[in-house]
Amino acid sequence: MFLLATFYIFAAFLVMTCLSVLFSKNPVNSVLFLVLAFLNSTFLFILIGAEFVGIILAIVYIGAVAILFLFVVMMLDIQINSLALNIKRYTPLAVLFAGIILAEIIYLSIFKSNNPSLNLITKYENNTEQIGNVLYTDYFLEFQLSGIVLLLAMIGAIVLTHVYKPTIKRQNIEKQNMTTAKDRVRLVKVKSGEGIDD
Amino acid sequence: MTSLSYNHFFILSLIIFMIGCFGLFLNRRNMILILMCIEIILLAANINFVSASVFLNDINGQIFSIFILTIAAAEAAIGLAILVIYFRNKGEIDVTQINRLKD
Repeated sequence: MFLLATFYIFAAFLVMTCLSVLFSKNPVNSVLFLVLAFLNSTFLFILIGAEFVGIILAIVYIGAVAILFLFVVMMLDIQINSLALNIKRYTPLAVLFAGIILAEIIYLSIFKSNNPSLNLITKYENNTEQIGNVLYTDYFLEFQLSGIVLLLAMIGAIVLTHVYKPTIKRQNIEKQNMTTAKDRVRLVKVKSGEGIDD
Repeated sequence: MTSLSYNHFFILSLIIFMIGCFGLFLNRRNMILILMCIEIILLAANINFVSASVFLNDINGQIFSIFILTIAAAEAAIGLAILVIYFRNKGEIDVTQINRLKD
């Protein structure tokens, strides 16, 4: 009963914050509501005993993705007026789409599902250990591949946002390799007592 | 439904998925909001995976949710990079004008 009450509180907050993301006027408020939504889903995950994914969700989404969004929103300086939702034009389409999927899935969940309830059997290894045992053995290749995907995303983001400025002195490898010793060093015989002119 | 069951989480994730799709449909201008709606949709997928994993007592769902998180982070980084260069070229983030990129 306590679980159910807690679930309803967090679920209601989650739905409200997700709606607030859509309908806030200011993009900064949207991002902050998105953070709140992720925090609420973290609580929900911890409630049903999936602590590891919950904490990872908090760290990755709130710590990285949402802050990235916040940086971009604050950096871009968008006019708020020009971004009003054009609600009237697309509402019928959206409501139709929503209604169809909602009807389908409520039908499936009520009539077709066997609806398992939460079994709180105490396992002899905790959630993190279970995930680690499977992730580093059965899914080892996928784990490595996801690392490569992240590396590619990082390289892609750097290449896309990189700016070439002519004023910055950069290393020119071609020019560097074509240089010989004559271009750089000049040997001068200095007579004693006279020095050199230039 | 007197105790916490899988259907609770299923319908919750459905509602959040609907909110995300609703945002994509309603808002056809602001590119940041479109990216945020995609994040909301991925969050719904995550909730569904994790709750199914817990209620069906199978750890694979949580593994998949970690992979979804990875892809979501990569997608957000690339999407925001595209957004930044689009803003730098055009001075606005109106998606309806994006077909003029070929000019």
